[in-house]
Formats: sequence, structure tokens, C-alpha cells
Amino acid sequence: MPVSIAELNPSDRIRRLLKDPLLLVCLIVLWSLLILFILLPLIMLFAKTFEEGGQFTLANVISVFGDPNQRQALWNSLLLGSLVGLCGTVLGFLFAYTAVRTNLSKKWTLFLDASIILPLISPPFTTAIAMIFSFGPRGLITYDLLGIKQFTVYGLHSTLFSETITYFPIAYLTLKAIIAGIDPNIEDMAFSLGSSRLRVFRTVTLPLTVPGLANSFLLLFSASLADFATPLILAGNSFPVLPTQAYLQITGLFDLKGGAVLSFALLVPAFLVFLLQRFWVSRKYYVTISGKMGAQTQIKSASSSIKYLLLGLCLFISAFIFYFYVLLFYASIVKAFGANFDWTLKHYRVVFTEGLKAIRDTLIIAGVGMPLGGIYSVILGYLVAKKTFPSRQGMEIVSMINYSLPGTIVGIAYLLFFNEPPILLTGTAFIIIACYVFRYGPTGIRTTVAILQQIDPSIEEASSSLGAGTGTTFRRVTLPLILPAFFAGLGVVFIRSMTAISATIFLISIHWTLITVRILEKMTELELGVAAAFSILVVLIVFIVITAISLLLRLFRQPGAPEMANILGG
Amino acid sequence: MKRFKVVFMLGLFSILLSPIHLAHSAESLNVYSIWPENWARPMFEEFEKATGIKVNFLRFSSGEALARVIAEKNNPRVDVLFGGPVETHSAGIKEGIFEPYRPPASGVLPARFKDPEGYWMGIADDPLVFMSNNKFLKEKNLNPPASWYDLLHPAYKGMIQMADARTSGTAVTRIFSILEIFGRDEDKAFDFMKKLRQNVQVYTKSGGGGTIPIGLGQAGAGIFFIVDALKTKQEGYDVAISFPKEGIGTAAEAIALIKGAKNPGLGKKMIDWATTPAMQNLYAKYKINFIPAHPEVKTEPSLAEVLRGAKIFPIDEVWAGQNRKRMVERWIKEVLP
Amino acid sequence: MEAISIRLENISKTFFHRVKGKVSAVNQVSLDVQPGEFLTMLGPSGCGKTTTLRMIAGFERPDRGRIYIGEEDVTDLMANQRNIGFVFQNYALFPHLSVFENVAYGLKVKGMSGSEIEGSVGKVISLVGLKGYERQFPHQLSGGEQQRVALARAVVIEPRVLLFDEPLSNLDAKLRVYMRSEIRRLQKTFSITAVYVTHDQEEAMAISDHIAVMNGGEIIQIGTAEELYLRPESPFVAQFIGKINILPAEVKEVVGEQIVLEILSQRYRLLKGPHDLNAGQRVNIFIRPETLVLTNTFGEGSLKAKVLERSFLGEKVDYLLELDGHLLNVTSYDPFQHGTFSHHQEIGVRFNPDAIHILEEGKKK
Repeated sequence: MPVSIAELNPSDRIRRLLKDPLLLVCLIVLWSLLILFILLPLIMLFAKTFEEGGQFTLANVISVFGDPNQRQALWNSLLLGSLVGLCGTVLGFLFAYTAVRTNLSKKWTLFLDASIILPLISPPFTTAIAMIFSFGPRGLITYDLLGIKQFTVYGLHSTLFSETITYFPIAYLTLKAIIAGIDPNIEDMAFSLGSSRLRVFRTVTLPLTVPGLANSFLLLFSASLADFATPLILAGNSFPVLPTQAYLQITGLFDLKGGAVLSFALLVPAFLVFLLQRFWVSRKYYVTISGKMGAQTQIKSASSSIKYLLLGLCLFISAFIFYFYVLLFYASIVKAFGANFDWTLKHYRVVFTEGLKAIRDTLIIAGVGMPLGGIYSVILGYLVAKKTFPSRQGMEIVSMINYSLPGTIVGIAYLLFFNEPPILLTGTAFIIIACYVFRYGPTGIRTTVAILQQIDPSIEEASSSLGAGTGTTFRRVTLPLILPAFFAGLGVVFIRSMTAISATIFLISIHWTLITVRILEKMTELELGVAAAFSILVVLIVFIVITAISLLLRLFRQPGAPEMANILGG
Repeated sequence: MKRFKVVFMLGLFSILLSPIHLAHSAESLNVYSIWPENWARPMFEEFEKATGIKVNFLRFSSGEALARVIAEKNNPRVDVLFGGPVETHSAGIKEGIFEPYRPPASGVLPARFKDPEGYWMGIADDPLVFMSNNKFLKEKNLNPPASWYDLLHPAYKGMIQMADARTSGTAVTRIFSILEIFGRDEDKAFDFMKKLRQNVQVYTKSGGGGTIPIGLGQAGAGIFFIVDALKTKQEGYDVAISFPKEGIGTAAEAIALIKGAKNPGLGKKMIDWATTPAMQNLYAKYKINFIPAHPEVKTEPSLAEVLRGAKIFPIDEVWAGQNRKRMVERWIKEVLP
Repeated sequence: MEAISIRLENISKTFFHRVKGKVSAVNQVSLDVQPGEFLTMLGPSGCGKTTTLRMIAGFERPDRGRIYIGEEDVTDLMANQRNIGFVFQNYALFPHLSVFENVAYGLKVKGMSGSEIEGSVGKVISLVGLKGYERQFPHQLSGGEQQRVALARAVVIEPRVLLFDEPLSNLDAKLRVYMRSEIRRLQKTFSITAVYVTHDQEEAMAISDHIAVMNGGEIIQIGTAEELYLRPESPFVAQFIGKINILPAEVKEVVGEQIVLEILSQRYRLLKGPHDLNAGQRVNIFIRPETLVLTNTFGEGSLKAKVLERSFLGEKVDYLLELDGHLLNVTSYDPFQHGTFSHHQEIGVRFNPDAIHILEEGKKK
């Protein structure tokens, strides 16, 4: 079939749009939603940052950043983000390379994959809590095991370690797809030309993964930039970071303006990352979501000794991760970790009595958000991928905004915008649901777009030639094929709903609260056992739901449908 | 199909948009509590038993609670701000978030337990104390700190946990105590605090944040409200409570009615109840180590025992309220980094 | 079922290419397809044949002109309202549906009852030789099988016209030959008017009633295979269909309806044809390779040539000869009868005057 060439007659496009009323209605609804829930709150945030007494001014920015502490926080955030990006990418690469190129047996692969999933589905603080128990002044490892007394667990090093462990699975998933996509025949060819293994790695494999490395760095940098929870526990006072500062500014000093300015500062690097990703990295390669491996010749990339070394390293790290979770579980069933090691179910009892409201609220919100998020992402993804209409590119970019921004910014923006008439949403479940849908919808959107791009357009033309109208074609042909994307969207919204905190901490109210916020409360009230119990509960719930969705996906699986885990990484 | 989806979505939206509080039955009161849940909950349950009014509440630390109420000024989501050191409420008066109300008990309350204009009422007294880990003290061959200057001892380096003034009322009370010790000479006081900072391991988000770490031995000592400190001891942690000879401050715990509250009548009922022995007798029952504000309620004997001989002075909450912001900002700037 | 005609009236379509700018894909094309006819649009890639086909189908809208299926002006109708059957180059089978469901799709859309569908689908599946494959899924089938499913799917809805977009180009050679006659057979059985697009001239010539040769968005010539081959009306058609040899010639004499041409210092007398020629005029002529006669000797009436290359292809032998500084392609059939010549052999070549055609006037290639 010839390459599609777009018609670029503007009046023509508008005329066609008017002829398709269904499309027009969808566009109006979608744009209204996007404007209301993405653009306007951000504009409000901007306004508050740069406005004083009704006039545009930089005074707020200057006063906040005149404070050397805040400047330090900005610098720290960038530093931490870069380090996490670096370490996480290296770690992720280690795991990915080991998983793909060293011919592991099934059970090792399973073990590695399991240890990767855990950080992805956990509520925040889990690594932080475990870190304190392990490396704190009387930590299991530092004090009891190694006898080190003056080790301080608070500061850059712990935050870096904790965030790296928490986020490197994202790097792993990104890089795994890339490395798997490299035809092993290319490496075979390099061998046949006489290169040593190391040389092949250095000159062939590594350069081919560079776009993946860059992308993973950017992903991790953003994640760290947005992370408000881990530094809250582990960074200590000598290492302030922006999202935590913004949070403290608002909740501690009731300074909404200051908080807005600080979160605005976060916006700049986040925006840069967004630009880099969209216009540089994504141009350099196409990720095959299916991660299909081509005809496999025996992989000779790594020698046996190297293979065992790599595997050993990975296992060590995985064991560490498991240890954290075992520790967490242990803390949830003893009376008072560190002082009283008697078994007890007391903490779980608290979780299921006092915490029942939070559990119920969170599940309701996640449960409602799921289908809404799924539907929203499928419809928007379909329109953006398949239909031409004015503002198409704009719609795609705007839909990605909330996703790319650190949660603190979104939370504060929503708080500012929806707390006053005309649109009063604070205190409702709706504001939290909206936050989730428009923040985590883009994963489903991207998956939908990717799948649609892989579907041959002539399939829809075939349906049309057989007499089916647009609606019927969508219902009978397109929809079944993008069902995997729909489920992916569902899954991601659910997981993030269960584990997110940085945006929604500003949006909870008397009537609606979340498990993650309870965990934070329990941590600040030092009921660590209960916090641990809540965390274990979240991990369990999320695990069960993802498994269910994965099974469902497998049921509907088309050849080439994306794996659940790969979608989580996005 | 698409049309159906759109209709479905719109329907769902409208359901969620409808005021959620319709779901709750007529007689219910919305409260932000600065008291930790374990103490607030029993109080509210007793209140419901006594009056039939259900209480919905969220717990925040004092700074957060204040920020929240101010942020919601134009559309208050709660009726009452329950508990919390009084300097928080003082600061709030300026922001115009409270509605003055004098409950019947206000007549018998001592002056320091009520705002002259009726914006808040005192429900308890909560002195600060020093709390230290006994094992740590033994290792370092120390006695429990009996002076503010004891905390400057190099043995405490990196072993002190205290509250962060940005979020915690405990910290603010502590700062004003120190100011009081130094006769309100700000420079001297801040100088001391800067020296003390050298020994601080971490500033915790909530007032009692350091209690468990000290109980576990992860830290050596800290400054807390007596309620938090005694709770730690009661849970079985091996800690010692002590008082500095120079004296230490105490802050009243207050309750206030929110301006523009949606259920002012119910709010007033709670304030009525909280300022009387009806609630304050429960402190002993639930082992909450607040000193009751109402003169007719006796301090629980073991608590009284702990307090014996301690030099405690009240914080001038008017002065504190006026200068809170400035002091906290100075603390952030000079002491924290 | 009553076959129906197709008429295109001066349709044009312009595309806006990101790099090339405005591209006129189809330029004032008019076409008449008779009821029950099998018409092929043949041409090189980019000639506009597929675009034209897609306009008939309704996947593209012409910028100008009208399209009629039967008496109905369908120009403004969407594809799903035209009752056409379209067979795609890459089959476009629905991957999530079985063979049966794929074929049944159009009938389901029409609202046919389950039993009716069973009957119709069963019949057509047998017709394309896929009985027993009903429960299979597209990815389990070979290319040829998939194409047959696509065919069945298009035919079962009893469309008014059948449209084929290079349906066989993804199949291997032998399968192509087999499938093209299957397609023709099916079309004849149902007597549905068909428009077929291909760039393979052998395919076009084998199965079409008429062929429309296209280039640069225009129809150059329409005719039967024979007409196009033997009487091409333009250099393009002559060169596109089959192989030709082009040689320079000079008109020596014009005598009534006949002219005398001198080609390579030999003279030949032939019919003038539609060309307007004068003595002394230079022309280019073309000769089909199979009309040249090769002899062992040269001299009277045959020119001396040397064999540069030879390819023995079974039923024929292709030669590349060098003749007086010109290269000639010669195809000699039935070597069993006529023998073969070897490399570097010097042989004689004789032109058959009836097979000499004037290509163009006044230009030298």
C-alpha cells in the first residue's frame, strides 16, 4: 500500500470534522475535560506564583529563592535526580542484560522478575522504613550486624539508595525491551568478524542501547524529582529537596504561595525532561512493546564466568529487596520492632478497624478511577492515533502534562483551583479520582496509540468495505484489538491509585482518605507496626489485582499484545 | 457505543459531584484533630455516647491543621479545631478563621485557659519534658539531663531528636520556652538553639516523632510534650523523664470553633462538653497524660508524681501568637541548615 | 445477480506531500467498465492506479469528477454505503476473528440470521477450497490461504463490484499463477464487475477483459491484451507491455498507404498506419523480440549479427545480439524445433515487415 499522505487543506479538515458529529462531540468533551483538569489548575498555579495584589511580579519567586535553603533544595533535587537516574539505569541495565543475554533458566528469570515487581507495586515509604530499621543508629545491619555506631541513616546516601531500589525496575523494564529487541544475529556477526566478547559488547551492544539508556535516565530523573515521600523520611534536615520543601511550606507554614513557587521550580526541570523525551529520545528509536525476540540462535554474548558474576550480583540485590519486604512483614507482626518482639496481630486489627474507612475509601476511589481511566485513555488514544482533526497534536501533548509533572505540583494546583467557586471539588472523592485519571491515564493512552500504530489501517478499511459504519467498526474490530491497552490502562490507574501519595496528600478530606496517607500518619505517629501492616496489605491487594488483570490479558491475548509488566514501566 | 459511554461517564460524574456529605446522617460533626488518633478517637466516641452526635475527623499536626483551615477559609470543611498547643490557635485568630464562643465552663476557667475574646478555650495543659534513653545514658555515663545546657554535651552529638518547627507545635512551644529562659533575648536564644542543633540527629515532622527512636535507642534524648513522653514510657520503653532546672514551658491545649462552620450548633456542643469535667475526667481513664484544664478535675496521681518539683512556666500565648511566624522563619533560616 | 457498470467521469485527486509538495496522483481520469467485465488498471508504481481504485471503493474522495456505480452517483457516499467488495494486498483479515467469523463479518453487519450466515459462508468457503479451516485464525494460515479467506469475505456479501488492490504481490510465483485464475473463475461464476490493480503485466494480460494502462495519473491506453501488445498507441505502452527493440529508421518513400523505411541499410515496405509521414523523415521503429527470425547464414534479406548473451529458458531461448552497433533482444521459441545458437556465433537476423511498428516521429532516442 502506498505511504499515506495527509491532506492539508484546512477548510477541508474543518468541513470533514463538522460532517462527523460523533467525533465532534467527543472532541468537545475531551477538550473540556483536559482544559478543566489539566490546563486551568496549572494556569492558576502560575498565576499564584507570579501574582501579588493583582499584578504580575517576580517578587514571590525572588523571596522564596532568596532563601539559600530553598536554593539548596533545588540543587539537591537536581543532584539526587541525576544520581538516581545514573545508578538506577546502571542497575536496571545490569538486570536487563542478565535477564536477556545470559540464557537464564526459567526459575532464575522468575525470581528476578518477582523482585522487580515488588518495588513497583508498593506504597511509598516501604524501602524507607526498612532502611531505618536496617541502617538506623540501632539498625539491624549497621548496629547489630556490623557494630557500626555512628552511622547516620539520614541524608543523601540513604535517599539515593532507597530511591534507586524503588525506581530501578522502571529502568529494567525499559532496557529489557531494548536489549531484547537487538537481534542476536548482529552480535553473532561481530563475533564472526573476530571481535572479543568485551569488544562486541562495547562496540555493538552498548551503542545500540544508548537511546534506551537515555530514556531510562530521564524516566528515573523525573521519578526522583517527584518523589516526596522517601526524602521526607530519609533525607534528614541537611539534605532538603524541593517536593518535600513544597509540601512543608504549604502544610507547615500555611504558605500556599511559597509552596506554589517551589513546585513551579520543579516544573522547569520536569518540563525539560518532557521536551527531551518527546523530541529527542523518542525520535531515535521505536520500542517494540511486544518485546518479541527474533529467531533465537544460541546466545553467546556472555561467557560463563561473566554470566555467573552478573547473576550473582542480581541475586544479591534481589535478595536485598526481598529482605526489605520480609523485614516489613516482620515489623507488622511483632508488637514493637526493636523493643518488643512478641508476635501479635494487633497491628492488623487496627488496620481493619480504624483503617477500614481508608481501605474502603481507597478501594472505592481506585475502583471508580479504574474504568474511568481506562475508557478515557482508550478514547483519547484512539482519536489521537487514528483520526485527523485540528488540534490533534495539541491534545496529545496536553494529555501528557499531568503525567510528566511531579505529583506535588498537580496536587497543589488542584488544591488551589478547586477550592474556590465556580468549581468546588475539594473534599470530594471526585477530585482525587480526577487527579488519578488525568495523571495516570497517559500510560493507557500511550499503549493504545502504540497498539493502534501496529494495527494495519487496511483492517478498518476492510470493515468499512464490508458495510460497517464507524461505530460498528470501532466496536467490532478496533476495540477488541485494543483491549489489552484498555486493561493496561485499568491496571496502571489501579496500582497508582493504591500507591500514590505526592499529589493526593493535598486532596484528602474528612470524608475521603487514602491508605497511603494513613501510612504516613501512622509513621509520623510512630505506629510503625501499623504502618508496616498497611503497607503489606497494599502490596497484597495490588499483587492480587495485577495478577487478575494479567490473567485476563492472557485470555484476550493477541499475538504481539503488550505484557503487563512492560506497561507498568511506562 | 461511544454515545453510551459518554452518557455513562456524565452520569457517573454527576453522582460524584453531588455533595458527599449528604451520605452522612443528620447529626454529625466535622473536626480536624491535632491530638493523635489514639487519643482523639476515644474522646469522640465518648462524645457520641454522651450526646448522640457522630464525629468525623482527620488528624493533622498543628502546623498542617492550621494551614488546612486557612486554605479552606472561604469554604470551611470542618466545624471545630480540636486540641493542639494554644499558640497554633493564637496564630489562627489573626487569619480570621475562628468564631468566638464562650461555653458555660468558661466562667471557671483560669485566664490562661481562655482567649480574652473567646476565640479559643483551653481543654488541657501540656508541659514539655526531657526524655532520654536509659541504656544510652548508662553507656555514656550520664544522668538524665537536668539542664538545658546538659543537652549541649558532646556525648549527645547526633543523638538528639526534636520536632521540626515548620510542622509541629511541640517545636514552637520549645522555641518559646527557650526564648523565655533567655529572657526573650532573641539573639541569645537563637545562639543557644544553633549550638543545640549540632547535636541534633534529625528534626521530626510531628511533635512526638522522636519518642520511639529514643525508646529504641536509635537516638539518645529529646524534648517532647509530656503526653508523648509518658506514653512511650507506658508502652514499656526504657526511658527517663527529666526537667531542666532553668524551667521549661507548658502550652495549653485548646479548642476553637471555625468561622463559617456548617454545623455551628453541633460545634458549640462539643466545645461545651470538652471544657467540662465530662471530657477531662476521661484523661485518666484512657491514660492520656494531659493535665486537665478544668479546675475541678484532679490530675491523675502518677502524672502528678512525675511533675513534682519540676519548674514549669506557662508560655505567653499572646506574645507567642504574635511572633510565631517570625520566630519560626528565623528558626528555619538560622537553626535548621 | 444482475451485473452492473462502473463509470468514472474526469476524476482527479491531489495529495499534499510533506517533501514533494503538491502531488497530482490522479489527473482527469475517465473510465467505463461494462457490466460483468474484468478490467485491470496496469502501470508502474505511483501511476495512480491504486488511488483510482480506492476512490471507486470510497476510501478516498476525488477532488473533482464523479463516480457512478450502475446508475447511482456514489461520489459522496462513504465506503460502507457502496456495497463493494475489496480485496487488499495484505489481506487485512481481522486477527481476532476465526476464518468463519472473518467471512461472516459483512453478513453479520447486514443483519442476516445465524442460519443464513452459516449457509452462505459455508458455500463460499468451499468455493475457495478452504473447507475445514473455519475455526482457524489468520495467523495460523499461509499467505495463499489468507488471501483466499479475504476473497471469500469480499464475495460472500454479494457486492455490486469487486475491487482488487494488487492482491497477489505478496505470494510466490507459482501461487500467483494459480490464484489469479481462481480469482478470474470466481468473478466469472458470480458475474460481478471487477476492477483489478496490478503492476504485473503478465498477470494483467492473463485474466483481464480489458486493460487500462496508466502513467503519471492518467490513462494512456485502454484495450484488450492483444490490442495493447500488438497495437500500442504510445511509446510508453509499447515499452511497458512486453519487450521491444527500438531502432532508428528513415522514411525513403511514401507511396499511398505504404511507405518504404530504411533500417540499418535494409529497406522494408510496410503500411503507413495512422502516422503522417514524409520522405526523408527520421523515425524510431520498434520490433518485438519474438518476431525476429534468426538464421545460420546471412546475406540476402538478413543482417549479420553476433550473439553476445544467450539464456536457455526451456520453451524459449533469449538472445542478446549485437547488430551494426545496436543491441537487439531476440526470443526464439521451440528450440526443439528451431535449434539454438551459441555464444559469439555470427548469425543472420531477418525483420518481418509486418512486425515493424513506428514508435514515434521526428525524435532520435
